Amino acid sequence: MYSSELIKGTLKTIILKLLSENDKMYGYEITQKVKELTGGKIQLTEGALYPTLHALEAQGILTTKAVNVGNRIRKYYSITKTGKKVAAEKVSEFTEFMNTMVYLLDLKLNIG
Amino acid sequence: MFILSEQQVSFILDDIRRNGIGLEELQLDLLDHICCVIENEMKPDQNFEDFYLEIIPRFFKRKLGEIQEETDLLLTFKHYYAMKKIMLISGALAAIGIVVGSLFKAMHWPGATPAFSLSVFILSFIFLPVLFLLKSKEMKVKREKITLGIATLFGILVSVATLFEVMYWPGANVMGIISLGILFFLFLPIYFFGGIRNPETKTNTIVSSVLILFAAGFIFLLTNLRPSRQSHYVFAAAIQQIDKSYEFATKQNTLKYSSAANDSTKSQTDLTQLKYACDSLCIKIEAAKNQIVDFASSGREQKPDLEMLLSDNAGKYDLPTHILFDNKDEPKAKLTAIKADIEKLKILLKEEFHIADISILNIDDVDNPGNAGGEKISWEKSKFFHVPFELVMINFNQLELDVRMLESGCL
Repeated sequence: MYSSELIKGTLKTIILKLLSENDKMYGYEITQKVKELTGGKIQLTEGALYPTLHALEAQGILTTKAVNVGNRIRKYYSITKTGKKVAAEKVSEFTEFMNTMVYLLDLKLNIG
Repeated sequence: MFILSEQQVSFILDDIRRNGIGLEELQLDLLDHICCVIENEMKPDQNFEDFYLEIIPRFFKRKLGEIQEETDLLLTFKHYYAMKKIMLISGALAAIGIVVGSLFKAMHWPGATPAFSLSVFILSFIFLPVLFLLKSKEMKVKREKITLGIATLFGILVSVATLFEVMYWPGANVMGIISLGILFFLFLPIYFFGGIRNPETKTNTIVSSVLILFAAGFIFLLTNLRPSRQSHYVFAAAIQQIDKSYEFATKQNTLKYSSAANDSTKSQTDLTQLKYACDSLCIKIEAAKNQIVDFASSGREQKPDLEMLLSDNAGKYDLPTHILFDNKDEPKAKLTAIKADIEKLKILLKEEFHIADISILNIDDVDNPGNAGGEKISWEKSKFFHVPFELVMINFNQLELDVRMLESGCL
């Protein structure tokens, strides 16, 4: 499992990418999906997930819909049009970042 | 899969609320999440309460309320971006307004005042307060926040005082003095003594303090230094001399009217008309002068004497122009009425009193002194438009004297 420091910087990108590929998702579903896709290597903590979801909703990047599930309410999160653009930008930025990191670390390794 | 009862759901919700999650939306999220974990991960032989206590610590490091705190922080961050946008837009608008306003003012184009007022309003009541809110949030030391607050207050006062000065509203001087007081006696001491204690900021603080001191000192000198007292004495003496001549001429005329009343060779109707025309013209000139003087002395508790008035307003051409001309640089009614009265008086002098030379009351258009191309400007503009305060007063006094001199000639 990766450290929370590494995950923290990519949390927004992960959430936006997942929601742009799925019509709607609820919080627990997001954590489970990430866990499943990464073979348990990335586990989103609830303490980081929900504040980020709320901030993205406040910025108009996500919208929510409340649905009654048994004796409680479940909030489904969906990505907006603007959000899809942001998601694409975030993914592209992260890809560039990864390339830079690979280059940077390789360089350091060579020197070392 | 374990299905939670209504009672168990209520128990979880109460526990979430009790542990510092105040935002309802967040409560619903966490409730559903915890319920999902229990329903999917609890084994049939496990006890609900034991399992709940086992899983709840994975939601936080120290306490559950951290999620609420983190959410609040991120939501504030959202406002941070909106505020930053407002700050940048208002800053740009204020900067454009001040440049346009100053340019229009210098070129005497209409629209300078609204542009200038709007930019000062935006700067003082949107840009500076938002800047303070944003920057103070970034600051952790209380002293820094106080320093920034004082600097913001100073900035607001200075810009509002400048607006008041330009608009000739009363209170500009008081505001200017208060703002300089805040700068010299509040901001600089706190900033200076706070900054030099820290070795990292010591040099910067000293340099900045010196620069601020010089900048504020220059502003103070440029706005408050008066021309030499001698010039005020000279102008005051000139105005008083014309006043004396005017009073003398008026007294002489009164005596002459008394003698003429018994003179059967003179038309009493013409004399009445002459007296009325000269008196009403001089009353109008006095009214215009008084309005300028009142405006120039607004903000003072006591009416200033002539010297003090000249000391405060010497060289200020905007003030009389503001009183006598409208926004389109056309003369206001009080000035056109004076010109109309002069015209009437000239006709009376020519037709009834047969005065051949009335050139001292010339109100024809004159050559524009600044333009050799032959363009002429009106009498009103040549005498009063963008003419310094002291010369406007002299021009009015001279006009009154000229009227009384011609009146005397008729008697």
